[in-house]
This record gives sequence, C-alpha cells and structure tokens, in this order.
Amino acid sequence: MNRPYHLLAIETSCDETSVAVVRNGGEVLSNIVSSQIDTHRRFGGVVPEIASRKHVESITVILEEAVEAAGVTLEEIDAIAVTQGPGLVGALLVGVVAAKSLSLALDVPLIGTHHIAGHIYANRLVGEIEYPALALVVSGGHTELVLLEAEGSFRIIGQTRDDAVGEAYDKVARALSLPYPGGPHIDRLAQAAESAIELPRAWLEPDSFDFSFSGLKSAVLAEINRANMKGLGVEAGALARGFQESVIDVVTTKAMRAAAEFGARQLLLCGGVAANRGLRERLAALCAEAGLPLLVPPLALCTDNAAMIAAAADLKWRRGEFATLDLKAEPQLSLEAWSVGRA
Amino acid sequence: MDANHREEDCTALALDTSSSVLAAAITRNGRTVDASHSFTERNHSVRVVSDLQDLMKKNGLTRAKVDVIAVGQGPGSYTGVRIAVSAAKTLAWAWNKPLVGVSSLEATAFSAWTKLEPRHAAAAGAAVSDAAGDAPASAGTVADAGAAVWIVPLMDARRGQAYTSLFTAGRNGEWASVEKDGIRLVADWVRQLRERYEQLEASERPSAVYLVGELAFLEGKKGPALDLEALSAGWPLRLEPSVIDAGAVGVLAERRFRLGVQEDIHGFAPNYTQLTEAEVNLIKAGTESRI
Ligand SMILES: [Zn+2]
Repeated sequence: MNRPYHLLAIETSCDETSVAVVRNGGEVLSNIVSSQIDTHRRFGGVVPEIASRKHVESITVILEEAVEAAGVTLEEIDAIAVTQGPGLVGALLVGVVAAKSLSLALDVPLIGTHHIAGHIYANRLVGEIEYPALALVVSGGHTELVLLEAEGSFRIIGQTRDDAVGEAYDKVARALSLPYPGGPHIDRLAQAAESAIELPRAWLEPDSFDFSFSGLKSAVLAEINRANMKGLGVEAGALARGFQESVIDVVTTKAMRAAAEFGARQLLLCGGVAANRGLRERLAALCAEAGLPLLVPPLALCTDNAAMIAAAADLKWRRGEFATLDLKAEPQLSLEAWSVGRA
Repeated sequence: MDANHREEDCTALALDTSSSVLAAAITRNGRTVDASHSFTERNHSVRVVSDLQDLMKKNGLTRAKVDVIAVGQGPGSYTGVRIAVSAAKTLAWAWNKPLVGVSSLEATAFSAWTKLEPRHAAAAGAAVSDAAGDAPASAGTVADAGAAVWIVPLMDARRGQAYTSLFTAGRNGEWASVEKDGIRLVADWVRQLRERYEQLEASERPSAVYLVGELAFLEGKKGPALDLEALSAGWPLRLEPSVIDAGAVGVLAERRFRLGVQEDIHGFAPNYTQLTEAEVNLIKAGTESRI
C-alpha cells in the first residue's frame, strides 16, 4: 500500500498518560506524555487508585494534544493501538476502554499491545533491528532478557525472581532517605563517589540468565544498620556506588553471555532504567569490546510512552492481527504469547 | 443552548457501569428506544463498547443520529464508574457530541420509580431539578411539590455505609432532588429520614418511602446490620430491590441537556464522593492540609 498509514497509540499502564500518532510504523508525528510523578511523589510511590483517577481526567486532553501535534485529522487514523498489559489493572482499564471507544467511534481496527514489546520496539523508531537480537529490558517493573529470533517473536530467557531493577533502586533510595523516584539520585551519587562499599553479586546457577536483587537490597540495609549502630553516618555515596556496581556487573555480564550464546547480532537496551548513565556506559564499553552493535533509544522513548506502543503494534498491523472490541486489560499479559502469528 | 434547540428531537446514547449491571440504552425524546443490561460480574470493561456497538447496529443508529452522549457519573464502584466515564468522554470527544453526566444514584432512583409508579413517571417532564448539579433543592420544595413518595437509592459503600441521596416523586410526575449524593452510614441515614418524615404535618407526609437499588448488602454479613423490622415500624418504609436502567440515564440526561447543561469533556470525571485512602492518610498525617 502506498498511502501512508497512521497508528494512534494509547499507553496508561502505570503513572503516565500517553498518546502518540506514528506514521508508517516508524515516523513519530507526536508522542505526548503526561506524567503524574509530582502527584505520586507525595506518597513515596505510585498509588494505583490515584493513577487510575488521573488517567480518566487526562485521557481526552492528551488524545486531543497528540492528534493536534501530529497535524492529522481523526479521519486519517487507520488503527488504534493500546497497552493491554502488563501493568496496574485499574490504570490499564482506562486506556483500554478509551481505545475501544475510539475504535468504535472511528470504525478502525484495534490492536492490543504488550507493554514490554513496546519497550523493545522503541528501538525500531531509531534504527533497524537485525535478528536474532537480544533485548535487555530494565525498568521499574521489569528486568528481563528477551531473545528475538525473528521480527515479532519474543522468548524470555531470563527474568528477575524477586524485585525489578527499578524497584531495587527505589527501595535502596528510600533507605538512604533519597526522594522518589530513586534511580537518578543513586546514579548521580554513584558517579560522584570516590570509593565503593563492596556488596555481593547474585549470580544464581552458573547457566542461569535470571536475576535476583532482594539479597543485594538486604545487604544495603545491613550496611546502613551497621553504620547506625556504630553511631557513624552512612556513607551514602560509597553505598550507592557499591549497589550500582553490583547491579550493573550482574546485568551486563549476563546480557553479554546471553548475546554470545544465542548469536545475537544486536543488543537492545530498553526500559526506563536505560537512562542510568552507569549502565549505559558499561554496556557500551562491553559491546564495543565484543564487536556487538548496541541500540539504545533516546531517553524520551525509554521511559513509558505511547510511541513505543505504536511501534510494537505495527508488527500486528502489518500482519492484520487485530483485537475485538471485547479486548480485556491483562495485568499479567504474557510477552511470549503476544508474539506475532499466534492469534 | 438556544431556545429552538430544546424543542428539537433528541437521541441519547446512554451508559452506566457504577453498579453490578452494565447498562446501555438508546433514548429518544424522553423514552427508551432500546436498552441492554448485562450482569458481567464487575467485568464491565470487557463488554462496555461491544454492548454499545450491538445496540447501535440493532437499532440502525449511526453517529450522525446521536445528539447526546449520556453517562452515569457515579457514585458507585470506583473502577466501575471509570469505565463508563472513560468510554463516554472518548466517544463524545471523537464524535464531537455533547456529553451530559447524570448521577448514577438519581438514575437508580428514577429507574425504580418508573417501575413502581409507571403512570406517574411517564407524566414526568415538568419540573425536574438539576439533581446532578451542586445545589440540592431546599427541603421546603418537598411539600410544595405535593410529594407522593420518597425514593432513596442505596448503593453499598462497605463498612455499613452506602452511597445515597433522596428524591421526591409527585403524583403529577414531579421529580426533585432533596439531598445530594453522599456517602452515609445506613443506620443513621434511615433514622434521619424517619425524623424528617415525623417532623412533617400528617398531610404532607409521603405515602411511601422506598429504599431502592441493589439492596442485598443490607442483609449480608458485612452489611450495616439493620433491624429492618424495627426500623420500618410506624411509617411506610418499603424495600424495593432494583437495578439501574440505562434508559433512566438517557432520559435524565436529555432533560439536563434541554435545560442547557453540557459537560466540559476534558474536565469531566467520575463523582467518587470520597478521597482515596492514600489521600486521607496523608491529610491525617498532617503533611498537607488539602489536596
Ligand atoms: Zn514500562
């Protein structure tokens, strides 16, 4: 087909209300993100009920902004994509219901989309993906190694057994009395610190690509307790650096080992934690050493946004894999089952 | 809204998901054209748009023929109310149609009245209060309107509480809001209603006080533990279990629309009647005096 096509995508899986319009699967015409972070900061974390309320209040405003910013009319929208899961159920519901309503209103197909597939295919908005590729997904809710043997085919080869990386960062930040969200603060402290307090690394079984961060988190808390018992101040910088080094060491080592084992032609770094400078730098160095191309989307496409949902939905648009108006928000939606060609 | 518009035909597409019923309807000029009511075990988000689509197809209703999007604004189940409101806002925005919100409690009360006193309800059309607005009609208007019955919608709000309000329905179809929507302890509320009843002159008293809505919670284990027999002695208190009818949402919305009411689509939000627990705790902690 020669006529350009436009996907309108909606993402409301957590605390960001986002709508994007993407042309021909890769050209982002608009990508509006309304963050609720200031609202949730007062509570020290995302409050699901408040997130849902905010999504309802923002949804049509953001829809309108995205359509206007894209410079298209609603008549030019060819399909509606929406994050079906995973995420907070009450938050997902708002986006799913709005997307279904739009699909009915405009009489265009609906595409239910996997949030993590979105994080991975955000890379498609900045470059071509070569297969097999290995994606390292690190965010507030996810830590996964995903093998893409072919376009739209997802196989999880490793995942966290307890906390996600972002979660561990937030918990450690809270223990160090740093503001929410904690990731950027720890990253900054770690970069500035002159020394590191050595902390354990959870390698798990020798052949495992899984992760575990709860032991590391406990080690951090134990360090803080020890310092407090001795009446010494906590060396926040050295502790942050020790924590970050442990996380980065494990995550990057496993990613490189997996890339080699599965013959990946590219490594894709995705998710909000991709903003972490320490992680990016180390991964870039290791990939350069191994001669493995590393793709990292720009920051605005790493954190939750709707353009990435359109990028993933494009996989199904091109194959005509559409959802019905009975699409249901699935807080535990499986990535592997969402692969193309399974419908 | 110009005066001419009020005389024109008005077709509303109506939706309510505040209770256990997924209710959708098409209404035209004060009457229900067709309605669908699904009991989806609080999973309204699955069928909400498909039910609308089915209803439209079945009745040959196209976008061009829709004049108003009508929606139950709550109160009720938080998640439930968000479903209809999100759908209605999006449809109204995409189709560029007026959006009119209606209190889900008023619609529950009006639905019940339509079934209890169909002739009187059908005559309704005269003075209808702006019940979903902020200002409740003064209690004085009850007697003035020659109230025949009181209608008290109740919706379970847990811990012995209910979302509730009070409406009066007159013999000639008068319909008025007397107490605005709120969350109240059921036992206290019934006592207050009774005091209000007893303070009236015998000739001004309603012939019946109907508690309506999904009333099973009144008798459930986690309900308010009312001694209903004792509470209903000496005055005409009647329990009339009922479910909301989306036709009532459409009819009430049409009236509001003809009075010139239209919501700001972007700003429109459910009426939860209460803050979230997290906000309440924050206020208790005294870290902020207001949200
Ligand atoms: Zn995410």
